[in-house]
Amino acid sequence: MSERPAKGETSGSALSGVRVLELAEGVAGPHCGRFLAALGAEVIKIERPPNGDWTRGVGPFLKGPPSGENSSLFAYNNPGKESVLYDWASERGLEFVESLVADFDILIEDWDLELRRSLHISRDRFTNLNKELIELSVTPYGLSGPYRKWRSSPIIQLALGGFLYLTGNPGQEPLMLPGHQPDYLTGLNGSNAVHIALWERDRSGEGQFLEVSMLETLATLHQFTMEMETFEGILRTRNGNQWQKQSSFASYGITTLPCSDGYICFGISAEDQWERLCAMIGREDLITDPEFNSRIKRANNSDFLDELLTAWIAGRTRKEVFMETSELWSLPTAPILDMSEVLEDPQFIYRDMFKSADTFTDSGAMFPTFPFKSTGLTTSLGPLPFLGQHTEEFLGRYT
Amino acid sequence: MTAKKLTPGGSLSNIRILDLTRVWAGPLATRIFGDFGAEVIKISDPRVQLLSGNGLNNKLNRNKKNIGLRLDIESGRKVFLELVSTSDVVIENFRPRVMRNLGLSFDQLTRSNPNIVMVSMPGFGTEGPYSEFPAFGTTAEALAGIPSLIGYENGSPMSTGIAYGDPISGLNAVSVILAALRKRKHFGGGQFIDIALASSPISMIGEYIGAYSSSGELTTINGNRHPNYCPHGAFKCKGTDSWIAISITDDEEWESLYNILSNSRLNILSSGTLKLRKENEDLINQAVSEWTSAGFANERVRILQQAGVPAGTVSNSRQLMSDEHLNARNFFHDTKERDHGIKRFDGQSISGNSLPKSTWKPTSDVGEDSRRILTKILGYSNSKCAELESQQAVYFAGKK
Repeated sequence: MSERPAKGETSGSALSGVRVLELAEGVAGPHCGRFLAALGAEVIKIERPPNGDWTRGVGPFLKGPPSGENSSLFAYNNPGKESVLYDWASERGLEFVESLVADFDILIEDWDLELRRSLHISRDRFTNLNKELIELSVTPYGLSGPYRKWRSSPIIQLALGGFLYLTGNPGQEPLMLPGHQPDYLTGLNGSNAVHIALWERDRSGEGQFLEVSMLETLATLHQFTMEMETFEGILRTRNGNQWQKQSSFASYGITTLPCSDGYICFGISAEDQWERLCAMIGREDLITDPEFNSRIKRANNSDFLDELLTAWIAGRTRKEVFMETSELWSLPTAPILDMSEVLEDPQFIYRDMFKSADTFTDSGAMFPTFPFKSTGLTTSLGPLPFLGQHTEEFLGRYT
Repeated sequence: MTAKKLTPGGSLSNIRILDLTRVWAGPLATRIFGDFGAEVIKISDPRVQLLSGNGLNNKLNRNKKNIGLRLDIESGRKVFLELVSTSDVVIENFRPRVMRNLGLSFDQLTRSNPNIVMVSMPGFGTEGPYSEFPAFGTTAEALAGIPSLIGYENGSPMSTGIAYGDPISGLNAVSVILAALRKRKHFGGGQFIDIALASSPISMIGEYIGAYSSSGELTTINGNRHPNYCPHGAFKCKGTDSWIAISITDDEEWESLYNILSNSRLNILSSGTLKLRKENEDLINQAVSEWTSAGFANERVRILQQAGVPAGTVSNSRQLMSDEHLNARNFFHDTKERDHGIKRFDGQSISGNSLPKSTWKPTSDVGEDSRRILTKILGYSNSKCAELESQQAVYFAGKK
């Protein structure tokens, strides 16, 4: 099974011939599975009765009253997989999984220590049976360490991982990122781990057990949060829609301002951009003004500068301001769009960023494709599987 | 179990990457390659300071080699194209016109190496109506709609404090590059890949896109409140700007929290279902705040987690770096940085056959490896190096 792709094949997807057994539920593991499936892997999702993956029952929902069949969250993360309804969580069930792994390249699971102990799943139970097997374990905290038995949810990960502290107004309650960000990031990180392990296996012939945790994933995705502290001794804080006001990362011009139809975000950080900003609003005098001649001084005058810039915007629309600042002044800005506007944005449409999805009901839903375009990689998002849609066929093959 | 015989020098040690990226997203992606043993050659403009003292480039460019190379000088471009002919990947995050204007577009690179994988990471994409517009992590997330899903009750949109476009693009790049290399291995051929900073955050909110496009209803945002979990939010503790997050995801967790709070004002909620709890969310949040603010964050979190209640300290950078779990798992990497002494950095969150931390190399300064790269990889003579130096096409740091 290690010499994929199939003999005689001259072109195909990056992951054609790669077989994935997805026992993970939720978002992190399945998001990884979605990415692998889109690149050509065959993903078999084994779901436990009676309800399968818990995201089948949670929102946000596609149109119609909430049911087990219109979860937008499930529909986004599981296209192109086969669903097998089977209760693997018993000794007999795990023996069946043992009999399967010889035929698979990748096992994605999300078993915490408690579940591993109660079901006697040692770390190498499956990788011992197939030396080429790559097992990806995605959990909130990993399988060791003081928090290994702690409970989790997205906001808990954002808190411990240092993201929550940085978003929101100073002094006020820190604000979470939407939905399931730690899970999605960990799904991407898990995908990276799997790709690296496939590369390893092609070289050494060895599979691996890979442990990717949400907390460590978040802790590697900070911009300069730790460095502000370690190099300059300054604690990075949240500043609402304005940027850092201390340290060498301080800057004016990373700010959000009102237009007639919503808000526009400015992302000005470089010196030449500041000078163009001054020219744009007709205040070249500020470039040489001693009150504004350093990043920190400008950052600490943010409220005043916000007023000047708001007066320059003068109640125009987001689009007018976005076009003038970007095209004429080469300044990084963007309108803050809501979901309806994201779907209609000309740049995203140009990039085919959204695709009608095959869902269970006639939902009319569009889902994001992928953030990359490539001359050599094709991505496909196949049909969404009904719970247990492929049970009979799959079990018929293996039992 | 027999010991695995994994590739010495790391899983990716047979990959060579020419890294033209700056700032965050690109260097994050190539850092992952470097940590797993790939030969990452960072190409720096000698006129621009790399290690400026704020630590950002120290953090993101470990385990990479550095050549100081001017691409705006003819002989510098020639060196670059010779490196392209022996490399697997070229990655850059300039605005789209920059590589074109330098005569270094994908088509031009394929003349030096028909199997090259070229990755561009522009703000909005290499083509399309906004392609030449500049972008920044916060403007990228704005266009993707992220701030519209963050905010206080009845408030305006809120940007993340973390320039969210970048880390997602960086993570995406790793899988996409390895998929391209895998395809090349099995089917042959290089390719051009374009990863847009502004598109990346959209992949993290697919369920909101799907729900709106189907139902036509926008999600309403109300601070940290959650449609299915209650209570859910950050609660103030003793100390300056000290908070913990609490997230009750089912009735059992509520019962545990209820017992800990033991607040008579909550009596009607003793067997509180989600519906009942949502109806009394203000009351609950007030009771939770009273309890959290009477104690310190770590102590409150420990009490809650021991009772099976999801909770966590809202860590700032200091708390993150001293986090007992991350430290027990040996996550961080303390390294001696030139001019700065011992500094603590984040380690690698991807497990597998990476280079052992004891062998990690701190960030090479501009031109530090120029001579070795030109003599060892391209076989240049010392006199050829001297000629390039005199043309200011290559910068050699340190001793001759």
